[in-house]
Amino acid sequence: MFDKEYSFKGTHAEKVNKLTAKFDGKNQLFKRNLDVYMMAPIVGFLYQRKAEVNTGDGTQKPTKIFPQQLIDNGDDLAFTYRLIMLLDKKNSDSLDERIDKAFRQFNSAQAEDDEKLYEQYVLGGVDVLYEKLMESANGTEDYLKNLYDFMEEIDDRYNQTIDVDQISVLCRLAKK
Amino acid sequence: MLLKSMSLTNFRQFNGTQSVNFSVDPEKNVTVIMGENGSGKTTLAQAFTWCLYGDTDFDDQVVLNKVVAQNIGPNGEASVQVKIAMVHLGVDYIMTREQKYTTDSTGNLKRPNNTVFKIQYKNKDGQQDFVKESEVDLRMKEILPKELAKYFFFDGERIGNMSKEIRKGKSKEFADAVKSLLGLSAFTEALDHLGGKSSNTVIKSYEKDYSSKSDSKIAQLRDEIARYDSRLDQIEKRFAEIDNEEDIANEKAKEYEIKIAENRDSEKYAQERAKLKNKITSLEQSKVSSTAGVIDTFNRKGASWMATKMIHDALKELADADKIDTGIPDIHARTIQFLINRKKCLCGAPIEFGGPAYTELNKVLDYIPPKSIGTLIGQFVRECELKSKGAADAFDDISNKFSVVSEFDADYAELSNQIETIDKKLEGMLNVGELQKKYTFYNGEVKKLRLERNRLSEEKGAIETKRERCETSINELVLQDENNKRIARFKAYATYMYKYLFSVYKEKESEVREQLEKTVNSIFKEIYNGGFSLKLDEKYNVQIQVDDFDGYVGDVETSTAQSISVIFAFIAGVIKMARENNSDENSMLMTEAYPLVMDAPLSAFDKTRIKTVCEALPKVAEQVIIFIKDTDGEIAEENMGSKVGMRYLFDKKNEFETELIGR
Repeated sequence: MFDKEYSFKGTHAEKVNKLTAKFDGKNQLFKRNLDVYMMAPIVGFLYQRKAEVNTGDGTQKPTKIFPQQLIDNGDDLAFTYRLIMLLDKKNSDSLDERIDKAFRQFNSAQAEDDEKLYEQYVLGGVDVLYEKLMESANGTEDYLKNLYDFMEEIDDRYNQTIDVDQISVLCRLAKK
Repeated sequence: MLLKSMSLTNFRQFNGTQSVNFSVDPEKNVTVIMGENGSGKTTLAQAFTWCLYGDTDFDDQVVLNKVVAQNIGPNGEASVQVKIAMVHLGVDYIMTREQKYTTDSTGNLKRPNNTVFKIQYKNKDGQQDFVKESEVDLRMKEILPKELAKYFFFDGERIGNMSKEIRKGKSKEFADAVKSLLGLSAFTEALDHLGGKSSNTVIKSYEKDYSSKSDSKIAQLRDEIARYDSRLDQIEKRFAEIDNEEDIANEKAKEYEIKIAENRDSEKYAQERAKLKNKITSLEQSKVSSTAGVIDTFNRKGASWMATKMIHDALKELADADKIDTGIPDIHARTIQFLINRKKCLCGAPIEFGGPAYTELNKVLDYIPPKSIGTLIGQFVRECELKSKGAADAFDDISNKFSVVSEFDADYAELSNQIETIDKKLEGMLNVGELQKKYTFYNGEVKKLRLERNRLSEEKGAIETKRERCETSINELVLQDENNKRIARFKAYATYMYKYLFSVYKEKESEVREQLEKTVNSIFKEIYNGGFSLKLDEKYNVQIQVDDFDGYVGDVETSTAQSISVIFAFIAGVIKMARENNSDENSMLMTEAYPLVMDAPLSAFDKTRIKTVCEALPKVAEQVIIFIKDTDGEIAEENMGSKVGMRYLFDKKNEFETELIGR
């Protein structure tokens, strides 16, 4: 996984193109398709949104991420994949199984279904990103505001619910 | 002179014949005529000048009432008449001016006939008599010259100009009028007759009489004197021009000085604007960099930051599942493989292929080296720690930068507003540099003119000396001729008389001027109570001076109310003095008291001042006739109360018809 060219297709291609387009002649919310690809599965998982690959209305051209880009960022991508596999209790409610999926089965033939699931989260995340950042924007000023509002929302919904300082403690516990 | 009555027939708004009797009661010497604007106050005031001098200030020279003109019909006629009854130097007069208007066959007005002016008077026997037609204008001039009339029949609109004229002494006419009113004109005329500027004076005529035939030397000297005189004349004319030019240049310089002062702030504003524009630029730059910063942080750290909760939860799961990689200490996969291959456990129990022991042992393989996922998990946990630490400040960072961006609009609007305000202020302002140039130019002109005047003064002095020498030589030569000797004697008498009269005149004149200054000041102080006094110079220029004010004594800027007060004080002063002279029978100065007829601009004053003006005027003038707006009128009547002898009201029927009704 994360060593072959990846293409967004159909409506997702269109959305990714828009997310990476310059909104004020100078600035883009996402600099590369890869940046969308890296954030989208997290957003998709947080918002529990999945989506299937589609062909759109047939007019949208696929937009690609080159293999070298994926290989260069393979560690970060694998990290996200493992996070999702570890946490997705819908996929399996057994922790052992989830640990297997995250670590043992990663990049193996057994992971085929999990990779599909992962891509569904990627595409669902693209949908969410598009809705949150692009859809309601009327002018250049709105994009940045949407970005901020979106982050504030995530902060409220998730980051505020945990004690971030706890992470270091948990790390020590988890390394045992 | 006292005005007894006036009657108007078809004069402008006054349709038919309408009369006003003016109060001649010495105790109640005020006549108030009230009316709203446009009802005919100015017309009535103008009726005086039309009757006495035949002209008006109206643009429309047709004085015939419009309604009457409409109703004449074809080939008809109508006339306008104004009749004024007055007493002057104890004689009763009736002045009548009439103008006939005729229409053509279509009923249109033809060019009006010339006006006819008649003066009727009661002679010593009590008989009515007419002044000869050829002498009416002359007689009118004796009673009240037109130049003087405007100081007694004046309207508010002209008062601003009059005040200017008086203050600058620009109008010689004014000084002459004052002198004439104060009885000094007899002196000036006598002086002019003896030795004035004209070539027909007594003294000059003697000079011409010298017989120069006998002596060519005298003729030569006379020519020389004539040359000198003409040059002196030129110099005098140039002096007058220089005075005038200097006044203009001074005025301009002052004007620019004021403008410079008014616009000095423009530089300050321009600097302020530049500062604000810099602020806007840096604000725009910080918006750009903050926007880029928000996006950069979002791209670099956004994903990790969003994953914080997931990282936390994942770590928690891993921490809870502590059995995961505990495995069996010091057991390697090779050990298990060995046991499976020998089909017998360490404890001796058999390991059958596919049996429960076999399955269990295969599971163990996953948890012990080399297939252990412990390494992977350890690495994963380290990544968790790194990512969560690295992204911890992402939201704060973005918040800070975003607040710069979101406050931009408000800050930008505030700065733009400030700039706009300054722009507006600057809009009406002028470039100080340009103004300064003009100011310097006019100041330079003033200097040039002063230099020229000095040069001319020197030349004048030199010429006068030369001329005197010529005179002396002539006088010496003249005495050798009998006839010329006689003429020289006459001339000497005339010159002596001129000099004597001139010294008396000077003395009288300065006395009169001082007296006038005192009188005017006492009235001015009564009307305008505020630390100012008036000063009259030799040319009857009026200057307003600040009293008792440390460090500054000089002419000050005048407000409208002040200007009007000056005029009132001045005219009232002149009238009062004329009246006092009149009562002094032994005076060398013979004058007549005059009424004050005015279209009063009381609205320029505040209430207290109206009160003081109203109290002062009836005291100083023998007769006051005042045309006034309703609102002002009530205040005026309230304040003059006991002094009002007659009251009238303009009843405006429409634009073309007004009726005068007594109240």
